[in-house]
Amino acid sequence: MSENSYRSTVPDLVTHEIIRGKLLAAADEMGIVIARCSMSPVIYEVLDFACGVCDPRGQLIVQTNGITLFTGTFGLQVKSILRRFADDIKPGDVFMTNDPFDGGTHTCDIALIKPVFINDNLEAFAIAVAHWSEVGGAVAGSISPSATEIYQEGIRFPGLRVCRDDIVQQDILELIRENTRLPTMCIGDFNAELAAVRIAETRLREIFDKYGSEVVRDTYSYILDSSELLSLQAIKQLPNGIYYANDYVDGDGITNEQIPVCAEVRISDDKMTFDFTGSSPQRDGPINCAYGALSSAVKTVFKALVDPQGPSNEGWFRPLTIICPEGTIFTATKPAPTGWYYEGSAQASELVWRALAELAPDKLSAGSYMSLCGAYFFGEDPSTKEMFVHIEPAIGGWGAQSNCDGTGALIATTDGDTYNYSIELFEAKFPLRINKYALNTEGGVGAGRWRGGFGVIREFEVLINGAHTYCSFGRNIETPWGLMGGKNGSLNYMEIVSGDSVERISRISHKDLNSGDLVRIVTGGGGGFGKPYKRPVKEVQEDFLDGYINKETAEKDFGVSLDENGNVDSNLTATLRLGDH
Amino acid sequence: MGRMAVDIGGTFTDLVHFDDQTGALVAEKSLTTPKDLTNGVLNSIKLADIESETITFFVHGGTTVINAITERKGAKTALITTKGFRDVLEIARGNRPDLYNLRFQKPKPFVPRRLRFEVEERLDASGNIIKPLSIKELEDIVKICISENVEAIAVVFLHSYSSPQHEIICAEYLRKNLPDISITASHEITREWREYERANTAVLNAYVQPTVQKYFNRLQSTLLKQGFNCPMHAMQSNGGSASFTWAKSHPITLVESGPSAGVNAAALVGSLCKEDNVIYLDIGGTTAKCSVIKNNQIDVTTEYKLEWSRINPGYPVKVPVVDIVEIGTGGGSIAWFDEVGSLKVGPVSAGAEPGPACYSQGGSKPTVTDAKLITGVLDPDYFAGGRIKLDIQKAKKAMETIAKGLNTDVISAAESVIRLADADMINALKLISIQRGHDPRDFVLVVGGGGGAMHAATLGRDLGVREVIVPRYPGYFSAWGMLATEPRRDFVMTHLMRADKIRISNIKNIFDDLRNESYSYFKTDKDIVSSSIRLEARIDLRYQGQEHWVGVPVNINSISIDKLIDDFHVEHERTYTFKLDNSPIELVNFHLTATASVPRPHLNEISSDNINILKGRRRVLFSEDGEHETQVLDRESLPAGYIAKGPLLIEEKSATTLIHPGQKLRVDEIGFLHIS
Repeated sequence: MSENSYRSTVPDLVTHEIIRGKLLAAADEMGIVIARCSMSPVIYEVLDFACGVCDPRGQLIVQTNGITLFTGTFGLQVKSILRRFADDIKPGDVFMTNDPFDGGTHTCDIALIKPVFINDNLEAFAIAVAHWSEVGGAVAGSISPSATEIYQEGIRFPGLRVCRDDIVQQDILELIRENTRLPTMCIGDFNAELAAVRIAETRLREIFDKYGSEVVRDTYSYILDSSELLSLQAIKQLPNGIYYANDYVDGDGITNEQIPVCAEVRISDDKMTFDFTGSSPQRDGPINCAYGALSSAVKTVFKALVDPQGPSNEGWFRPLTIICPEGTIFTATKPAPTGWYYEGSAQASELVWRALAELAPDKLSAGSYMSLCGAYFFGEDPSTKEMFVHIEPAIGGWGAQSNCDGTGALIATTDGDTYNYSIELFEAKFPLRINKYALNTEGGVGAGRWRGGFGVIREFEVLINGAHTYCSFGRNIETPWGLMGGKNGSLNYMEIVSGDSVERISRISHKDLNSGDLVRIVTGGGGGFGKPYKRPVKEVQEDFLDGYINKETAEKDFGVSLDENGNVDSNLTATLRLGDH
Repeated sequence: MGRMAVDIGGTFTDLVHFDDQTGALVAEKSLTTPKDLTNGVLNSIKLADIESETITFFVHGGTTVINAITERKGAKTALITTKGFRDVLEIARGNRPDLYNLRFQKPKPFVPRRLRFEVEERLDASGNIIKPLSIKELEDIVKICISENVEAIAVVFLHSYSSPQHEIICAEYLRKNLPDISITASHEITREWREYERANTAVLNAYVQPTVQKYFNRLQSTLLKQGFNCPMHAMQSNGGSASFTWAKSHPITLVESGPSAGVNAAALVGSLCKEDNVIYLDIGGTTAKCSVIKNNQIDVTTEYKLEWSRINPGYPVKVPVVDIVEIGTGGGSIAWFDEVGSLKVGPVSAGAEPGPACYSQGGSKPTVTDAKLITGVLDPDYFAGGRIKLDIQKAKKAMETIAKGLNTDVISAAESVIRLADADMINALKLISIQRGHDPRDFVLVVGGGGGAMHAATLGRDLGVREVIVPRYPGYFSAWGMLATEPRRDFVMTHLMRADKIRISNIKNIFDDLRNESYSYFKTDKDIVSSSIRLEARIDLRYQGQEHWVGVPVNINSISIDKLIDDFHVEHERTYTFKLDNSPIELVNFHLTATASVPRPHLNEISSDNINILKGRRRVLFSEDGEHETQVLDRESLPAGYIAKGPLLIEEKSATTLIHPGQKLRVDEIGFLHIS
């Protein structure tokens, strides 16, 4: 094998492409390792994790994401380690951080960062982040919807050296075991992440051994520069101008009032500035996010605009500037709670999205149900005498698009390749039964030339006494927005039926449940696109025949008159459709 | 007496015949006849001059099932399911793998909402009845199905993996009242949990059943008329075959029959060469496929997803399918620059029409095949045995765009295209080997398909396998694999149990049931003539709390829980780098693979006379190994025991094998090439 002949060759485009492929494969392999051997369902089912490689300065080079929330956090986290440890970073080190105020998201998301040394030179950082089911704090699962300080959200690791000379510091594991409710799971997840950053080191070593440091570092620049160029070209396609959107966050977990937020997007040639000045100051409740999550939110929508499928790296985002004063709902500072940070982050994404939707209808859809609608169920299973915790994000309706109906029953923007929980698996594991899992046709969707996608209804029946739930659902007052004359969609909520009482809830920190109680998770339908009367009668009729809409909706929202069997009354329809609707 | 296999592809219908007495192998092709596939089969039979009465076993493989699905030309299908859950098929898993695409669209379900019916019934996770099945409601559904002209019905009830009792009653009722409609109950196809995946599997089975039934009936009666009076089998996706009768009621198990035949052939090559660990690679026109065979066992999974890609969740099909990784790089893959000048190869392919630029069929874009021609690997006058004349000028002209973009000459550009294509394939090969915890040094690389042989030596070296093996007739690899196939069925059943709470009898009972089921399956099928049935068992285990599991082989005649647990820890550590000694362990799925042993074809030894092996010489560019004057040898004339050193090219009608400088070639007694 002519190992050395590569080195003598002038590094060319092709070699860079090959190395890029190998780096991506390494990041993929990290993801496979985490998804397969983590112990928290939220990691292996929801894929609430991400992995990647940064250069020695902390610039993100390759990343594989299970969800979008980590799009902007890796670089910030590696830089925080560089800042904190500076010259004291050694081969065999692994660092751990979950600090929302230092590039992180919320305390449950634990990042492990491993510096990779080749011949005593620092050449890369491998980073893995994953949502652990438990990190202690006020409630099981660690994210109390009514937390008022981060101290109630479990332990914070400000950037700890957990491995020295590749040996895990047992004291730190002991600290984790003694401060969390599900220690086995936590240590399992820790091991999964450790395996991931270790495998990355092995792969990076192979790449550096084969091509040499100089060539690989050139590839880093090549990856960043070529993505930057693509971004610049995409921004140039957009008309210069100032675009604005405002919206409300529906309650923060402490109060139910609407909290104003806004964004201004300024496009000037090949630069884009996202300015959130004017958004509410940070709140008492945990729907705040810090700068890392804000950065993810902006970058997610920006990526949708420039090249949704290209692998993520820092180069794409060089033409962006994010402006937001400290201490807002999007740039929370210590000790603000950030447990439900994705509510804030999702809202920031939606603001940018909404501001730009009319500019790029070929890239963006109308407003969606938006909120992850996270619900927790926990208690002691009497048959095993063991504690159980079930966390579930709910899927919902997305907005209509410029050429088709919105997608129904789909996970929110903040997540990604996130699966809903199988009913059969759920019932084999938890003392609850699911009575219904259906599209939310009752709540409906935003009408339009293209209609929004449907949310879902998931009804749980509690089979034991002494169970509990808590939840935080956004978009419970403000409906998903329609686009280009399309109508707004419908709301998210939780409904609890206990005996004769029926209670509607959106964000609540604790609710007792007993045998026979029903808990309904209901998510909203997306906004419509274009005027509803422009929807062909045939399509309205098909929706009726499929039971997506009823007679009344066909008439009221779409101006189509149908009989019980779905036959169209053409005359009446023509009259109904005279208006501009 | 002899055996015959037919593989119906998009362009050609391949036929391979093996004479049990003489050991002679005949391969023929005719054009596929899409209107009535039977005609193409008959044409190939004629060309190969087959005497129908001498055939003792016929195996059929083809794309009928997958085409009916991809072209959405299956039956009008209805779904009957548990009250409250008719939308499960449309809701699917709610995932959005195309993360940054804010206009994501889900795959559409194969049954529209108006044909998804709910009935009162409910079981719990242990299979206990919570609500009995309402026959009354079924009566109404039957009426609607008749008035809507439904052609097929899938029945899927919650927890039927645990107890199929309600599905059985419902299917019986429907079969009695709707005798002309194809009925599929989900448990008949899969006994694993996850309601959406099982529903989708049952629906797709129902969707293709009428088409497949019609086709097999017609083929069978035509062949009978021609005097073929032998057992007729269909190639399944699990590397084995099943009788037409069984295939007609379980057609979805045929979904990946072609690749499955290829993997089967690779396993056969492995066993003929006494190699237990094989990495299989097949390079076609638009894609390359690879798979791992460990301990002479092909890897079969039920995690298959139709139309899946990195950005498309696809349609899960929970039937046993050989575990294959497919990438969008093949011989016809087009090289191009993205907006900022990065060179890419694939996934767009020139395919067979118009094909690479050098085919002179109107293609003008540079492909991997053009690059292979420019670098001297392919002989313009001997492609496909000289049937297709390659035009090197057209190839060079197409490659000019790449040369310009790279600021180099056409030859270096071609070399770059090959390097990139090889790099993609290497990543796929590593994904199935190293990333799954296998050490390539324990493996040999076996290539099939026409395009594999000219990439294999490069890939094998980069991957670090011990040896590359190019079998005979690589261009007929799939049909050849079918010839060697054995009747096989995989039984998989989900049964969740905690390791510290089970008794050995629990496990024994499950495997006894599965074993009885497999015996009765083979006994009742008159088309299976076999002396013995081999059973292989596996249990999927996991640490409690984990979702994913690790499969551990067990000997069902001497099961030991302690050994099972020990093996699991070892296997878990091998796969995932760690084990958890004190965590509770769960048993999840029980697998039993039953294979009816039939004698496999033995290839004749080739001659050891060394005559006229040198066809010529030409200059060939070997990527980083530089350009070399290279001998071209004739594959058909190579004698057994021949040994030579690279650089070399070996040509035969259906493939060209490339051997790098420094690599060694050995020809074995049955004519396989070994490169190390």
